[in-house]
Amino acid sequence: MTELYQALAQGLLIGSTYGLLALGMGLVYGVSGVVNFSHGDFISLGMFMCLGLYSALSLDPYVSVIITVPVMTAIGALVYLFLIRPMVGHQFLMVVQLTLGLSLVLQNGILMVFGGQPARTPSIVESKLWILGDVVLRVPHVIAFVISFALAIGLYVMLRSTDFGRSIRAVHQNAHAAALMGIDVGRVQVLTFALGIGILALAAALLLPGTPIQPTQGLRYTVITLLVVVLGGMTNFVGIMLGGLIIGIAEAFGTIYLDGAIGLLMPYIIFVAIMLFRPQGLTWRSSK
Amino acid sequence: MLEIEGLTAGYGGIEVLRDINVRLGDGELVGLLGANNAGKTTMINSLSGTVKPMAGRILFQGEDITRLTPRQRVERGIVQVPEGRLVFPEMSIRENLLLGGINSRARPQRRQQMEKVLELFPRLGERLAQHAGSLSGGEQQMLAIGRGLMADAKVLMLDEPSLGLSPLFVQYIFEIIDKLHADGLTILLVEQNLNLTLRHAQRCYVLERGQVAVEGGADAVRNDPRTKSAYLGL
Repeated sequence: MTELYQALAQGLLIGSTYGLLALGMGLVYGVSGVVNFSHGDFISLGMFMCLGLYSALSLDPYVSVIITVPVMTAIGALVYLFLIRPMVGHQFLMVVQLTLGLSLVLQNGILMVFGGQPARTPSIVESKLWILGDVVLRVPHVIAFVISFALAIGLYVMLRSTDFGRSIRAVHQNAHAAALMGIDVGRVQVLTFALGIGILALAAALLLPGTPIQPTQGLRYTVITLLVVVLGGMTNFVGIMLGGLIIGIAEAFGTIYLDGAIGLLMPYIIFVAIMLFRPQGLTWRSSK
Repeated sequence: MLEIEGLTAGYGGIEVLRDINVRLGDGELVGLLGANNAGKTTMINSLSGTVKPMAGRILFQGEDITRLTPRQRVERGIVQVPEGRLVFPEMSIRENLLLGGINSRARPQRRQQMEKVLELFPRLGERLAQHAGSLSGGEQQMLAIGRGLMADAKVLMLDEPSLGLSPLFVQYIFEIIDKLHADGLTILLVEQNLNLTLRHAQRCYVLERGQVAVEGGADAVRNDPRTKSAYLGL
């Protein structure tokens, strides 16, 4: 029974961050129709930037976000302006190709700078544990959970009740009508992409403590994000967070209850199983 | 107020409009008529700036706005109520109206403006929290016009406001248009419905295959044989 609680708790905590990763992707898809296959490599970039800041300035990853979030947000804006925008409106697959290419560039760029050895970025809370009865929680996971949910709620409120948020939803629901309201659609698309990448910088720091990182890990995060987004419904806020929790729990169950490779397959097996019975995703109605 | 001089516009290098000259006086209600594919929507989108002109220029209150972005034109008060209404379906009536007044000139007074719009359309006020997608066609048209008025329009351009509505709603919408006109708003009414438009507009232009075929007052347009041929494609 303890194992079960342990798996559930661990899965919920990490799944919340997966949900956050997927929200970034869903937002970008919602306003530009772009599925970014270099999503995971931007997470890598965020993590390695934290590593670099630790090596150079001994900064804790939780402090590094003060630098990495604005820098990655700016990178996101530039990438959208100069690489993705010229492609939007062309064939969907061209944009996919572009982001896949970007993924290789990022991966090899990181490899060039940091080398291929797995690396760790220490944090003061890294080995701290929080014991609740029989369940042992790693403090970095608890922090990730709290911040991910706080950020998700913040995003939700922003989308619901600010002009910028309403502009994002307007562009998503009908870009032509949004332009007729005087909304600068191009600007909303750039800012949303930049915001999506900025969120990744934060998520990277949340996932980092205690996790060995290597340049080739990006694709794994991209795939996890895609699973969550598809499960939750591309633009469904609540669905995506729920999808994140399910994938997180599946992963935790896989690693706790099953040995080796089969355990690592667990999220994918669960995903396929859900898709077989609910191809429309988890939630009934899309709330855009 | 609005002058279009020698406008040629289209999509992907293909000219849809050729050498259009149209003028809207201050406070005028002008009809833009024509069959399907005559270029009415291209014309209205050229005025909104979502279609780039290939030649010619557009003057608004003396200022050349030909190169301005859609946003800059909305900020000057050139507002379009698009064909098919295009309300934001997953947003409430209230949110749709707020978005209508999102441009920098209208935003400061949009609460007061919303009160005026709801006075004009009390039916919208009764269900502010309802999603626009669940409204009837007529109610969506009210919302689309209300959303346009929220932008503090100086020229309101209505694209096929009668399209797909029941006769009762058409009558109601045209009463509203008359009321707005009586209050001094300059209106460009794009319509396929010839007789209806001729009854309400002071002057009309009839487009045929991208060019102005007929222009003048209601009677002149009604009696001009070219009007009939423009509609029948003869």
